[in-house]
Amino acid sequence: MNEEKNREIYERYLNTTHLLGRIACVIALVLLLGAPFAIGAYLGAMPDLGAMGRGFASIGLVYLVSCVAEYLIYVPMLGAGGSYLAFITGNLINMKIPCAMNARDIVGAKSGTAENEIISTLSIATSSLVTILILALGVLLLSPLRPVLDSPVLKPAFDSVLPALFGAMACKYYRHHGRIACPTVLLMAALFMLVPGLIGSTSFMITPSGAVAIGLAWFYFRRDRAAKEAQA
Amino acid sequence: MELKNQLNSPVMFLICGSIVLVVALTCVVFAVRAYRAGKAIGMDVNKMKRTIVASATFAVLPSIGILLGVIALSGNLGTAWPWLRLSVIGALHYETQVAGAAAEAVGMKSLSMDYMTPGSFATIALLMSVCIIWGMVFSLFNCKRYTRRLGAGGGEKAKKKSALSGFGDIAMTAMFIGLVSAYLGSYVGGFVSGEGLFRFAGDWIPLAVALVGAAAMRLFLWIQERWHAAWVESFSIAGSMLIAMTSAIFLGWLA
Repeated sequence: MNEEKNREIYERYLNTTHLLGRIACVIALVLLLGAPFAIGAYLGAMPDLGAMGRGFASIGLVYLVSCVAEYLIYVPMLGAGGSYLAFITGNLINMKIPCAMNARDIVGAKSGTAENEIISTLSIATSSLVTILILALGVLLLSPLRPVLDSPVLKPAFDSVLPALFGAMACKYYRHHGRIACPTVLLMAALFMLVPGLIGSTSFMITPSGAVAIGLAWFYFRRDRAAKEAQA
Repeated sequence: MELKNQLNSPVMFLICGSIVLVVALTCVVFAVRAYRAGKAIGMDVNKMKRTIVASATFAVLPSIGILLGVIALSGNLGTAWPWLRLSVIGALHYETQVAGAAAEAVGMKSLSMDYMTPGSFATIALLMSVCIIWGMVFSLFNCKRYTRRLGAGGGEKAKKKSALSGFGDIAMTAMFIGLVSAYLGSYVGGFVSGEGLFRFAGDWIPLAVALVGAAAMRLFLWIQERWHAAWVESFSIAGSMLIAMTSAIFLGWLA
């Protein structure tokens, strides 16, 4: 009875999340696409739509493909509320995805559950607000902070945010999933060693790397399930 | 007024700040709704509080990295526009690339305030927006259907029906392992073949920093397990990153 009621509450929550998410996306799209025109009006020169079209044909299509891949990969990780927020607030690879995975891991939420949906949304909303706050403070204090942040001594530290993040995350995830992680990382390392030109397109290599890891996970999942069934 | 001054003027901050404010309010609404829904369906409140603390601490260091992106772009695009872009929708690795490419696309020699005109700035700003909106566009039209199909939004019933029952969780972890492996692989490749195939003369610092990050994380996990200190988990990623990023300063002296 209680479970039924909870399911009802959760379904209602999800439906409203989709409604609010769509409204938020429309508002964000209008504001983001409108801002260059508002700025153009202020500066006294509107965007050149012809140049914009040519620019989009040369660089935009690459990002369009990348956005499709990101969308297909990350929505299952983030759930509904988390996805709407993450795609509005950005910084997915370097913050939102690891942050949501970390939160999910801390509370032990399983994918596809109500708990995962709530935890992802809370995690992404919180991390987005922290970023917004830090950026706002940083911009406000830009003059006094600039010498510290621009300091050549600290530069290597801030250039190393992603290696530091992925090293720590690797330790956390690899140790319980060595049979998936080891072949995947070895394969990717071999690929980047043999084709160093790919190093500049690492974000595009996430999809094949993920496909290998999921393929391995599927293989072991089926093998373990078959072994369990044979034992039973 | 000079273009640089115009790009850093109160009007620009008003335009960009109002958008940042709308997005911040959206985050608050989503967070409050999620928290209330979690309570209503009987989730452990402590788990939700731990999520908030862990996510807030997690976000601090990457956010400072993102702030550096704002500073890096502010020389050529003013401060207000990069602030908006990196607070909303943008991504650190994306903005610098696309801003440069957009500048070339509108006929500038390079992304520099020296070549910038009001028209080229407005065009670059629009192009930067159009290039990255697609995740939001797909979410607008497809998120509901997609999450329902995945069972992520369909509750337990949909999950039970799925032939892949039980695999979804492993698949998500595997995808994340794939993401991390792509980057770690690129650090290995950068060191081994970055300056020519198998010359081992490339940049080794990202790889070394990743290893220090992993070692620091291992230490945090050991502390957590040895003394049953669950609270350590909330700070372990941020702490590991801080140690690894600090090590980059010292490793830089060796390079």
